[in-house]
Amino acid sequence: MSSQAAGERKRRKIRLEDLLNNNIWDVDPRPHIRLDTSKCRDCNYKPCVLLCPTGCYTTHGDDVLFSYEGCVECGTCRVVCPEEAITWEYPRSGRGIHFRFS
Amino acid sequence: MGDRFDVVVIGAGPAGSSAAYNLAKRGFKVALIERGRKPGSKNMFGGRVYAKPLEEAFDGLDKAPIHRWVVKERLSIVNGEEYVTLEYSGSGGKSFTTYLTDLTDWMASKAVDAGATLITEVVVDRLLIRDGRVAGIVSGSDELEADVVVDAEGVNRLVLEKSGLVERLTPRHVALGVKEVIKVEKGDIEKFFGLGEDEGLAWVFMGSVSDGLPGGGFFYTNRDSLSLGLVIYLEKAVEGMKRHIYDMVEDLRIGPLFSKYVENGRVMEYSAHMIPADPRAIRPPRLVWDGLLVTGDAAGLLINMGYTYRGVDTAAYSGMLAAKAIEEAEGDYSASSLKRYEEMLMKSYVGRDLEKFKGVHDLYMNPRLFKEYPILLTGLLRRLYEFDYGGYRLSEAFSEARRGLVSLPRIILDLLEVYRKL
Amino acid sequence: MGLDIIVGIKYVPNTTNVNIDPKTGTLVREGVPSVVNPHDLVAVELALRLRDRYGGSVTAISMAPPHAVAGLEHVLGMGVDRAILVSDRVFAGADTLATSYVLAKTIERIGRYDLIVMGQETIDSSTGHIGAQVASWLDLPYVYYAIEVEYTGDGFIVTRELEDRIEKYRLSKPALISAKMYSLEPRQVTLRDKLRAVLERPIETWSNKDLGLDPNCVGLRGSPTIVSKVEFTPKVPRKNIIFEGDLREAVRKLVQALVEEGVI
Ligand SMILES: Cc1cc2nc3c(=O)[nH]c(=O)nc-3n(C[C@H](O)[C@H](O)[C@H](O)COP(=O)(O)OP(=O)(O)OC[C@H]3O[C@@H](n4cnc5c(N)ncnc54)[C@H](O)[C@@H]3O)c2cc1C
Ligand code: SF4
Ligand code: SF4
Repeated sequence: MSSQAAGERKRRKIRLEDLLNNNIWDVDPRPHIRLDTSKCRDCNYKPCVLLCPTGCYTTHGDDVLFSYEGCVECGTCRVVCPEEAITWEYPRSGRGIHFRFS
Repeated sequence: MGDRFDVVVIGAGPAGSSAAYNLAKRGFKVALIERGRKPGSKNMFGGRVYAKPLEEAFDGLDKAPIHRWVVKERLSIVNGEEYVTLEYSGSGGKSFTTYLTDLTDWMASKAVDAGATLITEVVVDRLLIRDGRVAGIVSGSDELEADVVVDAEGVNRLVLEKSGLVERLTPRHVALGVKEVIKVEKGDIEKFFGLGEDEGLAWVFMGSVSDGLPGGGFFYTNRDSLSLGLVIYLEKAVEGMKRHIYDMVEDLRIGPLFSKYVENGRVMEYSAHMIPADPRAIRPPRLVWDGLLVTGDAAGLLINMGYTYRGVDTAAYSGMLAAKAIEEAEGDYSASSLKRYEEMLMKSYVGRDLEKFKGVHDLYMNPRLFKEYPILLTGLLRRLYEFDYGGYRLSEAFSEARRGLVSLPRIILDLLEVYRKL
Repeated sequence: MGLDIIVGIKYVPNTTNVNIDPKTGTLVREGVPSVVNPHDLVAVELALRLRDRYGGSVTAISMAPPHAVAGLEHVLGMGVDRAILVSDRVFAGADTLATSYVLAKTIERIGRYDLIVMGQETIDSSTGHIGAQVASWLDLPYVYYAIEVEYTGDGFIVTRELEDRIEKYRLSKPALISAKMYSLEPRQVTLRDKLRAVLERPIETWSNKDLGLDPNCVGLRGSPTIVSKVEFTPKVPRKNIIFEGDLREAVRKLVQALVEEGVI
């Protein structure tokens, strides 16, 4: 591989999934965040989608899909949601994200 | 439950651990409750801590997990591929870099060594209110009574919210910080930045990195890793985000400023946390109630100086003052007696700096700071330095750089504003 | 008369999403925190339900280095009554045979028990040996993949779930069962129980001084297993295909793609 090609490979973004793979979670089988997706259809900017740093919210047409497993418990989605569609609790029993180098 | 504590502290972050440590040292029976599996496992920050206040709050700071003492500061204004950097080198010794996960664990272990009872893996759901005063805490179906409660739950203060003592967080209250910690080869940091073995660099930058939104970035050197991250103020971000925040952070990593330092590195962790933003919005109406004191981020005690955040030292300091106030209250934990805490805090450097820098937030809400001015500044320097034959005079370069961007009176007004608020 | 139950737990590195270093090809284990093996938490839950129903006690045991105390505190926080950490340098490096021997001897030393519950397997080695081996050391009846247990006074009726059928067994007591993974949702840690765990510390540590086992039968020396090579399954990058069309159509395309890949 030429050194230029190596440089370009290094300058490629890491996919979010792969970034997240560096983290450690003990995922609670019970979700700590619940979403009333019926409220998302009418939500104009859907700020959770671009602001959730771990990509837990994705759009599918007008719908929003949500998965809680990669959540790092920052709390942003609850704050930015204009529809109060999100019920947000901390995971119990020490579960959820386990930061080590932050 | 039969066990009774003098004090229950909610959250073993810097504020809570400091409160518990200073209370236990004074002979109080303290329970320190933390939702994480171990202290530090839920904590995240940018990267640098000012030492002096911590030294006052904790003995033996020399044993703390300190990575590097900051001797070099950089400030960059970025416009796409161009940037202007200001560098300052000093004798250092005032602030150090670390992982907050490690530092918090150390602080909590100090509290335990001093005699506090640490209870991990437990979420506090709400305050136990009896006869109109705080009488302990509730978790699930269990109650724990105490003479007085210290709330140190951090910025996402669900306990205070549920108790109706503060309003629900809105985008105006907070910013979001996202960071990557990147492992590099031993010796790289010394080589890259001309640093000694325990010397560090703190680097902040703003401009196009936040897509014109209020915010900015940070870069810190840890022992053998780099912390690189971005802060975005949510107030303007709700409607103003142009792409995913992860993309913005990754663009930093592979962009012109940092790729040369991190390209051989390996990401060790990807983390995010909220930060108190508008100080007027986030400060609770009061910091004491009957039987309750509020400390740290939960009390909005973060100081945004415009070029650096300070929240760890202020949190620890507030925890220490809460402990002092509890001791001085001599068993009378009414709000009027605990008011001493608020007074001491506001008279201390925490209150003074909060007051001093309270205008920085308004400054941040000026969109020109993140869009037009970085373009103006880099455009000006480009004209000054990049020419083939004839160069520009400063005034020529300036008027060309600002053409169509922002008017002269506007610049003068904005400069006055910066001068007054910084 | 209540049931005295012993649960075996293992404290394991949380390797659910541990990365492989692209340069060295080895697991990145730096700073990986440990957790109680999730499948053992199912065993704990089963034991606690039986205790809550019939009365009695639950004792957790673990053969591990001292840091496993945190794992024992976790299950005490769920409501386990007491815990025994079996910890000694001479036990280090044990395979399943040497481990099951130490656990069996620990259980013998505890003496009084009606039922032993184990997890189906561990997330770090997945052998599923321990239950069967402890049962044979102690000469106990053993049923694995248990999903339900009923106490009859002189024994148990155990329901086990296999892929294609459900079976019921009648066992005399004492007996050993291993709980089918994912069959129960482990309960949460509570403030009350965690506080008791921290304040009363019902954790004993036993070393080989207490057990008095022949050093040739435990630890590395007592382990006939030889691990010759460990290979990781290569990470196959995700294809990120989105199947368009209405639900029926999309599912049909998905199935077709899976068949073409030889997955099904
Ligand atoms: C991106 C970013 C960069 C920053 N950079 C810097 C910097 O460089 N320097 C600096 O000094 N400061 C910085 N800060 C600010 C600093 O991190 C905070 O001000 C500081 O951590 C506040 O301490 P605290 O103890 O009040 O809250 P936290 O650190 O948030 O601790 C709160 C603790 O309470 C626990 N908890 C919360 N709720 C409950 C509950 N209900 N039950 C039980 N436990 C609970 C949490 O798990 C946590 O451990 C930064 C912050 C961010 C987000
Ligand atoms: S912000 Fe709230 S309502 Fe809008 S899409 Fe997200 S979750 Fe749904
Ligand atoms: S709390 Fe943060 S990480 Fe978790 S889902 Fe919400 S925005 Fe995403």
